Amino acid sequence: MPRKFSLWEGFTIAVLAVIACVMLLPYVWMVLSSLKSNMDIVSGSGGLFPSKPSLDGYRTVFSEAPFVTWLLNSLVTSVIITVVTLFTSALAGYVFAKHQFKGKKLLFILILATMMIPFQVIMIPTYLITAELGLVNHLLAIILPNLVSSYGVFLAKQFIEEIPQELLEAARMDGSGEFRLMLRIVMPLIMPMLSALGIFTFMNSWNNYLWPLIVLNDESKMTVPLALVYFNGTHQVNYNVVMSAAVLITIPVIIMFLIFQKQFIKGLAMTGMK
Amino acid sequence: MSTAISTNKAEKVNPAVKSTAYRAKRRFIIISLVPILLLFGVFAFLPIAWSLGLSAFKYDPLSSNAIFVGAENYIRMFQDSIFLKSLWVTFKFVFIAVLINIVITLLIASAIQRVRIPWLKNGFRTVFFLPTIAPLAGTAIVWNTMFNYNDGLFNMILAKLNMAPIQWLSDPHYALYSVIMMTLWADIGYNIVLFIAGLDSIPDMYYEAATLEGAGRWHVFLHITLPLLRRTLLFVSITTVVSYFQAFPQFQIMTKGGPFNETRVLSLQIYEQAFSSSNMGYASAMATVFLMIILLVTLLQLRWGRTQWEH
Repeated sequence: MPRKFSLWEGFTIAVLAVIACVMLLPYVWMVLSSLKSNMDIVSGSGGLFPSKPSLDGYRTVFSEAPFVTWLLNSLVTSVIITVVTLFTSALAGYVFAKHQFKGKKLLFILILATMMIPFQVIMIPTYLITAELGLVNHLLAIILPNLVSSYGVFLAKQFIEEIPQELLEAARMDGSGEFRLMLRIVMPLIMPMLSALGIFTFMNSWNNYLWPLIVLNDESKMTVPLALVYFNGTHQVNYNVVMSAAVLITIPVIIMFLIFQKQFIKGLAMTGMK
Repeated sequence: MSTAISTNKAEKVNPAVKSTAYRAKRRFIIISLVPILLLFGVFAFLPIAWSLGLSAFKYDPLSSNAIFVGAENYIRMFQDSIFLKSLWVTFKFVFIAVLINIVITLLIASAIQRVRIPWLKNGFRTVFFLPTIAPLAGTAIVWNTMFNYNDGLFNMILAKLNMAPIQWLSDPHYALYSVIMMTLWADIGYNIVLFIAGLDSIPDMYYEAATLEGAGRWHVFLHITLPLLRRTLLFVSITTVVSYFQAFPQFQIMTKGGPFNETRVLSLQIYEQAFSSSNMGYASAMATVFLMIILLVTLLQLRWGRTQWEH
C-alpha cells in the first residue's frame, strides 16, 4: 500500500494544488485591482500588478458613500433575521415533533410545500403586500418576510423527534412550562443543528440580492450587495473603487467563515444527509 | 388529542391536574403557532395564491387598475419570441451548468477525499468552499472586471499566450459560457463538500474487498463508489438544478440578458417584466410557468431516483 500511495497521491495533490490556485485567482485579482491608482487604470498600461499601489479606491468608498450605514443595515437585518428564525424554527419544530393537535399533518405538509416554491414565483405578490403594509424602503421589508423558514422548521422537527419523550416528561413533572421546556431543554439539545441553520440563515440574508433590489431604492437603506452594485454603476471606469468595496465586504465574511468553518461544513453535510 | 396525555401517570391520578396540564399545552400550541403561521400565511401561502390569480389579470401597479383578461397572458406568452428565447436559454444554462458542475465536483471531491494528510485535505476543501460564502452580486462584479475586453484578467492571459482577445460578455457565442464559468467558480464548493461527506460515509470494507480482487481505480469508481453515492447524487442534482433555474444576480449584473437575449434567463425576464416594465400580470403568468417547470423537473428527478434505488 505505502508505495502505491506516494505516486498516485502525489499526482492527485499536485493537480488539486493547481486547480486550487486557479480558484484563488479572482481574489488575487480583486485585491490587486483595489490597490490600483486611477492613473494605472486610465493609462490602460494593463498589468496584473498596480504600478503604484494606492489606497485611493478605499478612500473613495468611505468618502463618497454611506458605506458604514450599508454595513450596519446588512448587519442589523441579518442578525435579527437569524435570531428570530432560529427561535421560530425551534418552536414550530417542537410543536410539530412533540405535540398533537388537529390538522397537524396538513399544516406541516403545507409548510414543507413552500420549500419547493422558487422566490421568483412569489416575489410580485410579496412586493405588493409589502407595499400595502407601507414597508417599501424600510428595513422591516427585508426582515419581516424572512422571520420564518420552512427548511428550519423541517430540520428542527427532525432533530427534536429524536429527543426521548421521558426526558420531557421528567421536566414536566418538575413543573416546567412548555416554553421553559423548549428554551431550557429542547434548544440546547439541538444546538449543533441550530448553529448550522444559524450560519446559513445569516449568510443567506447577508448575501441576498434580489429581494432588497426590489424593495429598497433609497440609498441610505441599501444593504451590502446593493451597495456593491451601486458602486459598479457609478465607478465602472475607476474599478479600483468597486474592487475596494468588494474587498471590504468579502474579508469579514471570509474571516467569519474561517472561524466557524467546522460547524459550517458539518452543518452543510448534515443538511445534505437528513 | 388524548394519546399524549394518557401516557402521563401523574395526570391519571388527578383529573383536575390533567385538565390544567392539557389546557396549558393547548395554550402553548396556540400561542406559539399562531404568529408563525401568520407569517407563513402572509409571506408564503397568500403570495402563491395571489400570483396564480394575478396571472389572469392585466395589472400595472402604477395605474393600479387590474383588468381581467383570463388566459390572455398565457396565450401572449407563447407568441412572445423573447419569452420563448428566455425559456430556451434557461434550459440551456441549467443543462450545461449542472452537468459540468456535477462532473467536476464529483472528480474534485473524490480527489480531495483521497488526500490523507488532514491539514492538506482541509485546506483544499476550504479553498474550494470560499467562493460560495461571498455574495454572488459581489462575485459577479469582480468577474465583470476580469472579463473586461481591454484590461481584464482573461484577455491578459490570452495575450500572454499570443491569442486574440475575446469579447467575453458581449459576444453572443461566448456570453452564456462566460456566465456559466463564473457560476461554477462561485458555486462548486457546496457540492464538493456534500460529495466528500457522501464519499466518507461509504464503508472502507467495500474498497478493501475490491482491491483484494484486483479491481482497477476506474472499475472501483464505476461499480462501487457511484452506486453507493446515489442518494447524495440525487440530492445534489435536485438542489443544483433548482438553484440554477433561479440564478439571477449574475445575469442581471453581468449581461442584463444581452447580447441578443443570449443570456436572458426566465428569472431575469420575470423580474424585468414585473419591476421595469410594470407588467405584473404578464410576469405572474411567466412565474406560473416557471413554477410548473420546477415542480415537474423535481418530480421527474425524484422518480428517476426511486427507480434507480429499487435495483
